[in-house]
Amino acid sequence: MASGSAALLSLDHVGKDYAKVETRGGQFRLVFDLLRGAGAAHVFRALDDVSFALQPGASLGVIGENGAGKSTLLKIVAGVVPPTRGAVVVNGRVGALLELGSGFHPDYTGLANIDLAAALLGLGPDEIAAKRDEIVDFADIGEHIHDPIKHYSSGMVVRLGFAVATALRPHILITDEVLAVGDESFQKKCIAWMEEYLSDGGTLLLCSHSMYHIQKLCRHALWLRDGKTERYGPAMEVTQAYLAFHEEKTARTRKPIAQADAYAGGAYAVQTLTIDPADVVAQGSTMAISGEVFSPDGRAPSVLVGVVRADGTPVYGVATDMDRVTPRKLAHDRFAFSLTLTDLPLLPGKYVVRAHAMDPEGVRLFDHVERPFVVAGDSRELGLVRLAHRWHDDA
Amino acid sequence: MLARMRVPSHAAVPAASASVRARALFRNFLRRELFTRYLGSVTGLAWAFVHPLVLLVVYHFVFTTVFKTERFGNESFLAFVAVALWPWLAAQEGIQRGATSLGNYAGLIRKVAFPHELVVYASVGATLILQFAGYVVVLAALVVYGEPLHLSGLLVAIPLWIVMAIGVVGITLFFAALQVFVRDVEHVLMPGLMILMYLTPILYPLKLVPESMRPWVAVNPFSWLVGRLREALIDGRLALEWGDGVAAVVAIALYLGGRWVFRRLSPHFEDFV
Repeated sequence: MASGSAALLSLDHVGKDYAKVETRGGQFRLVFDLLRGAGAAHVFRALDDVSFALQPGASLGVIGENGAGKSTLLKIVAGVVPPTRGAVVVNGRVGALLELGSGFHPDYTGLANIDLAAALLGLGPDEIAAKRDEIVDFADIGEHIHDPIKHYSSGMVVRLGFAVATALRPHILITDEVLAVGDESFQKKCIAWMEEYLSDGGTLLLCSHSMYHIQKLCRHALWLRDGKTERYGPAMEVTQAYLAFHEEKTARTRKPIAQADAYAGGAYAVQTLTIDPADVVAQGSTMAISGEVFSPDGRAPSVLVGVVRADGTPVYGVATDMDRVTPRKLAHDRFAFSLTLTDLPLLPGKYVVRAHAMDPEGVRLFDHVERPFVVAGDSRELGLVRLAHRWHDDA
Repeated sequence: MLARMRVPSHAAVPAASASVRARALFRNFLRRELFTRYLGSVTGLAWAFVHPLVLLVVYHFVFTTVFKTERFGNESFLAFVAVALWPWLAAQEGIQRGATSLGNYAGLIRKVAFPHELVVYASVGATLILQFAGYVVVLAALVVYGEPLHLSGLLVAIPLWIVMAIGVVGITLFFAALQVFVRDVEHVLMPGLMILMYLTPILYPLKLVPESMRPWVAVNPFSWLVGRLREALIDGRLALEWGDGVAAVVAIALYLGGRWVFRRLSPHFEDFV
C-alpha cells in the first residue's frame, strides 16, 4: 500500500472531516473559523486513514454500506474536495464519472452538454470539436442529441455521460454506480468497453453495490466501513468477506440464538471455492465445483452446495451428508470437497453457486461463499431448469 | 502542510492545459449565463434593457413633472440620471445575481473539480456585458433625441466600467462565498443595495448634499464613479486624474480581498452548496 513512484494515483493516510453546523448562527462561527485558517469546530469524520496506490493497468473496486465513505473517497480522488488529512498524488488525467450526467444542464441540448462536459474534463475547444462525433456515435441516441436533456430518459442521460467519459480515454476512470442504470444491452456495452479499456492498460476505480460487477471488472477491492479500511486485497477475497459479513448481519437480526450457537462450537468455514468453467457455461454441459473447508476441531465437516438464481431464488441444493459423502482430509483442520454437475439443466441466465460449511452432523449452517456464473444458450424455454419431458403427438 | 494541500484532478494535467480548461469552462459558463438567462427567453432579453429604461422614465416623471426639478445647474435631468443609473443597476444586478450564482451550479460543484470562481466571473460578466450594451444604446438614443451628451466620453467611460467591473467582481466573490454558508445574504443584499442607491448621488448631484454630510456620501466609491462618468459624458472632459489611479487600486484591492475570502471558503462549498 506504499505510494510507489510509478503509481498513477496514491492515497497516503487520507482522511476527510465534514464540518457540522449544529447551532443557530453556527454558520457564522464556521465561516470565521475557516477564514482564519482553523478547522471547523464540529466535524463528522467521513473518511479516516485510507491508503492505497493504483499502478497503471490496475482495477480497484470500492465497496461498503451506504454512508461508509465510498463517495467521499471518490470525490477526494477526483479533486472535488481536498482531504483534511493525508496526501493524494495523481499522475494522470482523471475523467471523473461520479454519478453520470451530473455535469449536465437540463435545459441544454445533448450536443451543448457534450461541450460543457468536455470543457469540464479539461478539453480545449479544438479537442472538443474533434471528439464530438465519436461521442455522438457511442451514445447512440439518434436525433435526441438535439433535444434538451430534461426530455431524456435516465438511460439516455447515462448513455451520453458514458460516451463523453469514454471518448476521453482517461488514464484513470472513476465510476460510481454507473452500471446500475441503463438497460441490459447498454450495461453489456459498458462492461465490454471497460474490459477492453482495462486490457489496453487503462486504470479503473469502480464503486458499486454489485459484487458481480466488482468481481468481473476489478482485480483488487477496498472495503470501507464507517470511513475506515475494513479490508483491502484481491477482489474475490474482499467481496466474499463483505458478502459473508452481510449474511452474518442478516442472520444475526433474524436468529440471534442460532448465531450464539454457531460461535459456541467454533466456526466451520469454506475457504476456497472454484467452479470450472469459471464464468460462462453452456446449457447442458458439465460444471465442476470444488473447494476447501476449515474445521476448527479436526472433524470432517459437511458441505452444502447449491445453485441459486442471481436474484437469490434457490434452484437446487445438496449436502455431503445427504449423499453420505465425506470431504477428503488435506490437513488436520482442512478438508476438500469436489463434485460435478452433469448435463446442466439450467436455462440461460445468471446464477450463483453457493457452498456452505456445516458441522459434521449436518445440522448447523456456518458461512457461505459464492461464485457467480452465466449459463449461455439460446433456448426459448421458460423458467429455471429444463424438466425432462416428452410430447405425445397422437395425431 | 500536506493536509492543507489542494489536490484537484487538473493538477495532473500539464500546467498549460489547466488554463486552457479554465478558459474553455469560462466561455461555456458565460454562454450559458447569456443564453439561458437572457437570450433564452424573449422577455428575458427585453427585460434586461427595458427595466432600466422604465426606471429612467419613471424617475424622469417623478423628478421633473412631480417635483419640478427641471435642471441641476445647466444639466438635463434625463442625461444626468441616465449616465449614472445604468452603471449602478449593472453593479447591483451583477452583485445580486452573482451572489446566488453558485447555487445554480450546485450539481457541478458537488460532482466535478473545477475553479468555482469561474461561476462568479461568468455570472457577473454576463450581467455587465448586457448592461453595458444597453448603456451604449441608451446614450446613443439620448444623443439622437437631442440630449447634450458627448459620446467621445465613452473613451473614459469604458475604462471606468472596467475599473467598476473589477471592484464588483471582488464584492460579488465575497458575497457569493458567504451566501453558500449563510442563506440570509441574499435577503440582506437586496434592501441593502437599494438603500445604498439612494445614498449614492445618482438621482441628485453631490453638491446638493449638505456640506456636513458630504464626506459620508463621497467616500462611497460609486459616488466617485458616477461623478467621473458625468464629467466625461456630460461635460466632455476626457483628461485622466490621479484619483483614477487610486480608484483602480481600490478596485484591485476589493478584487483580491474578495478572492482571498472566496478561495478560503471554496474547498468547503461542496458540502454546503
